[in-house]
Amino acid sequence: MIEFELNGQKVKTDEAPDTPVLWVVRDTFKLMGSKFGCGAGLCGACTMHLDGVAIKTCVLPISAVAGQSLTTIEGLSADGNLHPLQVAWQAYAVPQCGYCQSGQIMSAAALLESNPNPSEADVEAALAGNICRCGCYPRIKKAVLAASESGGLFKNALASEERV
Amino acid sequence: MKIENMSRRRFLKTTAVVGGGVVVGFSLGGCSTSAPLPIDVAEGGFIPNAFLQILPDNTVKFYTARDEMGQGVTTGLSTLLGEELDFDPFKMEILLAGVHEDYNNPGMGVQGTGGSNSIHAHFEPMRQAGANTRALILLAAAQDLGVNRDYLKTKDGHVIFDGQLFPYGRFVQTAAGLKVPENTPLKASSEFHYIGRESGRVDALAKSTGAAVFGIDVDLPGMHYAVVRRSPVPGAKLVGYNRTATESMKGVTQVVEVASGVAVVAESYWQAKKAADQMDIAWEDVPLGRVDSADIRADYELALNSDDGLTGTDEGDLTSGFAVSDQVLEHEYWTPFLSHAPMEPMNAVVDIKEGWADVWSGTQGPGAAQGLVARFAGLDPSKVRVHQTYLGGSFGRRGTLTHIVEATQIALAAGKPIKLIWSREDDLRNGLYRPASLMRVKAGVDRDGKIAAWDAKRVGGNISPDTIKNLLPALFPGLGDTVIDWIGGMADGAFSDWVADPSSTEGLFEDYDHLNTRVTHATVNHGIPLTFWRSVGHSYTAFAKESMIDELAVAGGHDPVGFRINNTENNPRLQNVVRIAGERMKQMTTAQGRHLGLAAHHSFLTDVAEIAEVSVENGQIKVHKVVCVVDCGTAVNPDVVRAQMEGGILFGLTAALHGEHLIEGGAVKESNFHDYPILRMNEAPDIEVVIVESQGKPTGVGEPGLPPIAPAVANAVFRATGERLRSLPLRLKA
Repeated sequence: MIEFELNGQKVKTDEAPDTPVLWVVRDTFKLMGSKFGCGAGLCGACTMHLDGVAIKTCVLPISAVAGQSLTTIEGLSADGNLHPLQVAWQAYAVPQCGYCQSGQIMSAAALLESNPNPSEADVEAALAGNICRCGCYPRIKKAVLAASESGGLFKNALASEERV
Repeated sequence: MKIENMSRRRFLKTTAVVGGGVVVGFSLGGCSTSAPLPIDVAEGGFIPNAFLQILPDNTVKFYTARDEMGQGVTTGLSTLLGEELDFDPFKMEILLAGVHEDYNNPGMGVQGTGGSNSIHAHFEPMRQAGANTRALILLAAAQDLGVNRDYLKTKDGHVIFDGQLFPYGRFVQTAAGLKVPENTPLKASSEFHYIGRESGRVDALAKSTGAAVFGIDVDLPGMHYAVVRRSPVPGAKLVGYNRTATESMKGVTQVVEVASGVAVVAESYWQAKKAADQMDIAWEDVPLGRVDSADIRADYELALNSDDGLTGTDEGDLTSGFAVSDQVLEHEYWTPFLSHAPMEPMNAVVDIKEGWADVWSGTQGPGAAQGLVARFAGLDPSKVRVHQTYLGGSFGRRGTLTHIVEATQIALAAGKPIKLIWSREDDLRNGLYRPASLMRVKAGVDRDGKIAAWDAKRVGGNISPDTIKNLLPALFPGLGDTVIDWIGGMADGAFSDWVADPSSTEGLFEDYDHLNTRVTHATVNHGIPLTFWRSVGHSYTAFAKESMIDELAVAGGHDPVGFRINNTENNPRLQNVVRIAGERMKQMTTAQGRHLGLAAHHSFLTDVAEIAEVSVENGQIKVHKVVCVVDCGTAVNPDVVRAQMEGGILFGLTAALHGEHLIEGGAVKESNFHDYPILRMNEAPDIEVVIVESQGKPTGVGEPGLPPIAPAVANAVFRATGERLRSLPLRLKA
């Protein structure tokens, strides 16, 4: 039995210890926001936070999170309001198919946590492990910078007040 | 597949009464079924047509008939209907429609999404559905309020009378008893309120919180998971495998042989995956198993340099065209096999019980999915419910539904709900591919800088036969396997013997003025499965055509903008985007070491010109900025148009800089993103999209952004290095 914290709740599982965290979170705990993209830690669709650090969970065995705290996209904003990144994602109409976006947002959120005012290069480095096949990169970059401390979230946003 | 334009009158007709409401259905063939709409009717819900349910509390539910794969069609169609209904699409509850005749694509005649046609094909019908519904609500309001209809106006979901606002929902009970007006006049474009408005996307919130449901997210009680092992060499049949050992693995509940290979069913995905991975499988030895990339290329060269092939277009007289040419160039261009690699690997959930089948999967062909499940489950299509989900990318890949066939066969054998999940390795190695192409263009330019002769030949596989074979069982679920195989075989013959497959040579010659033109096609097909890939034939023909145009301009000392303008007199819309791009090029100040390349292309009724700003350092090509000029008629949602241009450009840049599948022993060599790299954020240029003002009917945007980017980059690389790259992906000589 492996015990850990999932979005602030204590949970336990008897899945095999080598089962990747992603599948336990999705299929045992039914949190479907984190996605399967490559199964090899190459695309970042499965990104969650382990004790606040962005981590690819499709290659992380569930045994590795015992006693630690895991946060998924569903638990990103503890107070139930949208995270500034999620507001920015709408303001810049970032998603296309949307499949990679949970991972993109989790990587970006970890970046802003450790570096509230990233440069463009910082954003590119932090999100280098997240593939978007639809080609949302220019908007992702703009949205992360807008959600940063000095970004001015609604500056240049398209009719954001109507939609947010 | 194309059907003729239907009249609005035939398109909108009363078909049935459901849940106390009048149902107005879109009917295409005049042979409408009486099948109920796949809509859950809420208490008091009014369903004026297949796309709408209006509740007494003024909730408006919009049922999106086309499939949302990221192209923004939920936003676009709800905008069209909302414009005439006078209801803000951002206040609608957006749902994905099930399968019903009323949801057929007016441009296809079946329920499918593709060819960048959704907004074009629905521009009138979707607005008409909104206009008729608004007219009906006004009739009901006039009756309920006891006033003349002429005194009523509407504003964003409300009827206005005497300065008072009444929500539409207040009148739905009365509306349900009235006849739906037909052919209500549509607004002039000058009156548009939502069409053309700068707005976001209706699906952005769900896609920023993890709430959007994709096929892979569907979860049923008692569901088991399946993983399939397929032959690495397409078409090789199963010979043998360690069944007993596999069945004894922890969690495994079944091992099922399916048409494509062996499926392992287990209580969890990980158990199924581990058991499938350890399987020791022998596959049949097939001739394709001895084919490598070099063999394919050699066979293409042979066909290119022989008299093989058949002539499609043949206009004017090439001999005299070349005789008057000052410059004659002849070059070969190569483009490889490619995967779509959508971020969501193929998957499907199928549940078969009590004479019904339910299938959940994001697909470009829900209508075909219904037919396929019916066929393989032995049910009538009316007993198959297709639950459409968001598509985690597609780019053509989810138009083929072999994964749904697999899931159906497994669910039938397992006797329980099944979720089938392909791995990324399955996706890249067992997929259907953008065909490889070898193209040769010989072209001549006369002393006035006019193209006088254009002789083009393409060698490669055809897409349509594979597509027909995959879709036949879906379109004719009642036909036996033998008949399907026979027709499928005919399809092969039909496309081998005649250059009839428009996907194979589209875009290779059409854009520029040239009186003397010949296009030849030689089909060489080794058995690598092929399908539509974003922008289809244009994805490779534009590279050959726009590279050659640039080479001709350079050779003749012509300005590449002026040369294109001079040769597009019969294509004014393309000429105009080139002219605008040319003006932008003059304004662009390029930093030291950066160079500009231009390309333009017409596809899916849309004209696009792109400028790539490129540098080459240490043999590495870096694209810094792309300016894209697009004329797609009326931009229904300008920001979605911009997003699709950005997406098409970046998808095309992956192909230009990285994309290549190699074949080894008949199998695709690459297996995951380490050896089939996708463009990452640090490689993505800034993109500026210029949308040409237009009141024209909207044309495609999902695909047309892609074709010009590879030649634009290659043309810039030539200016940076003097080296002309005629193969994709672009690689400089060391």
